[in-house]
Amino acid sequence: MNAVLRSINDKHAAPLAVRGLSHGYEDGQVLSNVDLAMEPGSVLGLIGRNGAGKSTLIRAMLGLLQPHAGECTVFGEAALKLSDRSKARIAYVPQQPDALAWLSARQMLDYVGRFYPTWDAAYARSTLERWLISPNKLLGKLSPGERQRVDLIRALASRPELLVLDEPAAALDPVARRDLLREIALRAGEAGTTVLFSTHIVSDLERVASDIAFLHEGKLLLHCAVDETKERFARLWLPAAMSAAAPAQVFGRHRHEDGSLSLVVERDPNGRWPEAASLPGARIDALGLEDLFVEIAG
Amino acid sequence: MFAIQPSSAEPIYRQIVEQLRRLIAGGQLASGDLLPSVRDVAGFHAINPMTVSRAYGMAETEGLLERLRGKGMAVAVTTRSTATQAQRMALLEAQLQALARHARELELPGDAVLRRLGKLLDE
Repeated sequence: MNAVLRSINDKHAAPLAVRGLSHGYEDGQVLSNVDLAMEPGSVLGLIGRNGAGKSTLIRAMLGLLQPHAGECTVFGEAALKLSDRSKARIAYVPQQPDALAWLSARQMLDYVGRFYPTWDAAYARSTLERWLISPNKLLGKLSPGERQRVDLIRALASRPELLVLDEPAAALDPVARRDLLREIALRAGEAGTTVLFSTHIVSDLERVASDIAFLHEGKLLLHCAVDETKERFARLWLPAAMSAAAPAQVFGRHRHEDGSLSLVVERDPNGRWPEAASLPGARIDALGLEDLFVEIAG
Repeated sequence: MFAIQPSSAEPIYRQIVEQLRRLIAGGQLASGDLLPSVRDVAGFHAINPMTVSRAYGMAETEGLLERLRGKGMAVAVTTRSTATQAQRMALLEAQLQALARHARELELPGDAVLRRLGKLLDE
């Protein structure tokens, strides 16, 4: 009975969810009170500067480290006590994979493939070739970039329900990167695969992500649909004479030499810009995600 | 067939709808022409298929496209003149917003702008 109930809950459980997550190392706090949940079939781009806490957040979400505080669940199960059944539904590619260094790429993929009923051997073979990996070279002898490419192939060939990639783009040339993005996009759209990937390359995220999460100094500043984010924020420019009327709670405030003011503003729940935007001489300009990221994190 | 700029401040689904409007208005796409499938567009540009579906869905609601059973999306047979007033009005929305913005930047009183617009419309 419990098993039946659990499998019913599974269907609706968020593939990944954290509540009140905090963590730190000796040299300080890395994550502060992060709340984040993913919808099945969504593609979440986790963006933040180097050292923002992206890898730590990912590892905590998957139960690969025990956080100081907070609750992490994967498909509704406690991340630290994940069942084998749930583990088989996940593929995770760390920034620096180092397992099975004594095998060649082909041997590793053959070996790992046996554990997955959903293994796509043809995909693994053809992608090794497309991504220019020598199949017979030992993994330990590959460059870090090649090593991560092999691990990406391993993750994708297992046809997981949840795919978690830590900075996957760094290891790929533009052709392989586009290949990976296409794979992520089509899997999410057609197979309903849920994808979490971290990056600091905003244009990758803009192509395939349905949602974006900004992590800055261990805090989640924004978690929103990509299209909505683009429509919700803009840059407001106020001439010097009007700059006193600038709204208080804003990101990215810059005073120009002539006394005029630029700042990032947000629409209210009714879709309206702050009142200052309709002052004489005020101007609202659309803002791309990269600009928004720089304004928030800069 | 679409030109997609992921880093533009304009969401990708809006870029697609905007291009559909222009291609149809300009006659490059004629009634009954089939559109590339969602998968084709998403795969070609490496963008999320849900974004393409959203754009096609919006264009369908606007009356630009219609879903042909078993064939996919095609340019609607409905001509501009039989589209509802709201549908035709929606095509002007972006220009109207730009006009309103320019008028505000020039600090022109609304009634003066409307009077001039009224004259132009009567010509």
